[in-house]
Amino acid sequence: MAFKQLKMSYLINTYIPRPWMRLIQPFSVGTANLAAKEVLPREFSEPKIPPYTERVDEPLKLKKARLLYQSRKRGMLENDLLLATFAAKYLQNMTAEQVKLYDRLINLPSNDWDIFYWATGIKPTPAEFDNEIMQLLRDHVQNKDRESRIRQPNLYA
Amino acid sequence: KISRDYAVVDHTYDAVVVGAGGAGLRAAFGLVAEGFKTAVITKLFPTRSHTVAAQGGINAALGNMEQDNWQWHMYDTVKGSDWLGDQDAIHYMTREAPKAVIELENYAFGGQSLKFGKGGQAHRCCCVADRTGHSLLHTLYGQSLRYDCNYFVEYFALDLLMEDGECRGVIALCLEDGSIHRFQSKSTVLATGGYGRTFFSCTSAHTCTGDGTAMVSRAGLYNQDLEFIQFHPTGIYGAGCLITEGCRGEGGYLINGEGERFMERYAPVAKDLASRDVVSRSMTIEIREGRGCGPEKDHVFLQLHHLPPEQLAARLPGISETAMIFAGVDVTREPIPVLPTVHYNMGGVPTNYRGQVLTVSGGKDAVVPGLYACGEAASSSVHGANRLGANSLLDLVVFGRACAKTIAEENKPGESIGSLKANSGEVSVANLDHLRHADGPLTTAALRLNMQKTMQAHAAVFRTAETLQEGVKKMQGLYKKLDDLKVSDHSLIWNSDLVETLELQNLMLNAMQAIVAAENRKESRGAHAREDFKERIDEYDYSKPTQSQTKRPYEQHWRKHTLTSINSKTGDVQITFRPVIDITLDAQECSSVPPAIRSY
Repeated sequence: MAFKQLKMSYLINTYIPRPWMRLIQPFSVGTANLAAKEVLPREFSEPKIPPYTERVDEPLKLKKARLLYQSRKRGMLENDLLLATFAAKYLQNMTAEQVKLYDRLINLPSNDWDIFYWATGIKPTPAEFDNEIMQLLRDHVQNKDRESRIRQPNLYA
Repeated sequence: KISRDYAVVDHTYDAVVVGAGGAGLRAAFGLVAEGFKTAVITKLFPTRSHTVAAQGGINAALGNMEQDNWQWHMYDTVKGSDWLGDQDAIHYMTREAPKAVIELENYAFGGQSLKFGKGGQAHRCCCVADRTGHSLLHTLYGQSLRYDCNYFVEYFALDLLMEDGECRGVIALCLEDGSIHRFQSKSTVLATGGYGRTFFSCTSAHTCTGDGTAMVSRAGLYNQDLEFIQFHPTGIYGAGCLITEGCRGEGGYLINGEGERFMERYAPVAKDLASRDVVSRSMTIEIREGRGCGPEKDHVFLQLHHLPPEQLAARLPGISETAMIFAGVDVTREPIPVLPTVHYNMGGVPTNYRGQVLTVSGGKDAVVPGLYACGEAASSSVHGANRLGANSLLDLVVFGRACAKTIAEENKPGESIGSLKANSGEVSVANLDHLRHADGPLTTAALRLNMQKTMQAHAAVFRTAETLQEGVKKMQGLYKKLDDLKVSDHSLIWNSDLVETLELQNLMLNAMQAIVAAENRKESRGAHAREDFKERIDEYDYSKPTQSQTKRPYEQHWRKHTLTSINSKTGDVQITFRPVIDITLDAQECSSVPPAIRSY
């Protein structure tokens, strides 16, 4: 009996349309056309975690040192490589304002995959992060100059 | 002038967890929920631990399981481990799995009771496929905060504080202000993950530097089965991002430096679609015999440009963009450089099924008081010689939970802790100081790359006496070069150079033990496959009936766990062994699986 019940639920899931689910529009990166991904709505309540508090009165030099550490140490190697190469290219010469935008970009999102998806264009960047730094990152990811990003840049020559 | 003064802050906790990934957070949450004053030390923000990379759903693990079917899962796991797994721990994990996952679902869904398995609500939670790892971390982190868990984020744990053979805490460096922190605690849980970064090509984040296994080594304790490392045949050379079998399934094939489609020689029928280990070994043999690609002839190519561009775009979109983003390769015109890639470490800190760290005393297992381990950092050992795909997330949750339960069973909140000497942790601070002043000829990056390439060439998929012995010699030489390091940044605050150097010390300890253990183990079992010893060497030859056979003595067979210890100054590795546990927790509930030849 229990088994029949399970089978029924499974069938219901397959055949009855679920209007509350939405599809993400496909986005292209270069020559690739990425498949649409189904995303389940966040109607369940995961416990809240406190929002990231931005540091005040942190000297710019230290801020950049912190962001370098945080760019090289991410949740997965894709972000390790993209952010480390990005930071090696741009962090040194960023203005205080740009540094603030970068800080928010790599520290506010809770899921590292989101940063990867926005940078590669698989998902649209939310308005709060869609700024000049994000654009720089997106261009960096497009890799028009065909650089090799197979290793993190050495900290020193 | 570089200051030699270090500010030290002392803390006291009932329990300290090192590492805030899936296993660490589960342990921390379990502890605070039982009223233990708990600190979590992590070098990363919790939701940024490598667990976040997991995409695939815990439910996938339980998908085929119904309440009474966990014995099948148990059998599969024992078989997968090639009979090196401890059956009491496997019994424990497969039996507790449903409970542990239901508890998780409850935390995320606020108390709704859900049936795991096919269909219904449970399907929704566990099936958030590309957010599994993140969901796990976010849920556990949030829940632990409700109970007042103390997080020390972006603190780098340096060493265990051991006294009288007991673990009494941890010493760590605060990256934000350079202060040293000593955490005195009755119980310490290590959940620091694997050591994938010992290899040139791995799927691990750059944070996977074997910090916990190294700390255990420096404390004079053993690590177990470090030679058992799981590989995937095709990761992008250097980057490590996986190129899945789908490519070869669509008609892509591997070529060597001479442009030859070499798989035709190794597997005339299956060719590029032969099993993973056959493909990995073939690739490695081609490289070893000098037919590799690139200036260093150290990888092979995966060719896709003979396929129609529309097919590539439609069927393999992810590959095209990954190849462009990381390797700068346009797959419609050029081949992708690939290499067998490290994926998981089965070995780690030896524990029993309750999560207590073990040492050997008088030839028997003995618990190290106050020390626990869980997750990829531990070897309980549920994975034995080879891990089943479904089991890694389950391992985190079940054994993180087990550590918390055991600590709650053995201790009470607020109990007094054994004393720590006033200068406890001095050795760690001295090492830190030494590195800050290090002014040799070799940068950390150069030595690290050398170690990674050596491990990749000598201790990867293709193992024979010749390559392993050569590798051990090279690694011994590289280990000595730790004395030649140069650290260019002398600051104590957000010093990536210093942190990466501390991590390199940790990586070296793991790499040395792994390669020496691999050279020592003269058989093939699970992920450890040797060309010169192709068979498993058990106490009986299980391909024939055992009644007529004489049992091989313990010293003459290999169905035993390798225990390695290392002198952190010289890099000398000592090896001993401990038996595999074949008895389950309760024969009535779950019978032991007798060894057999593993064939799929």
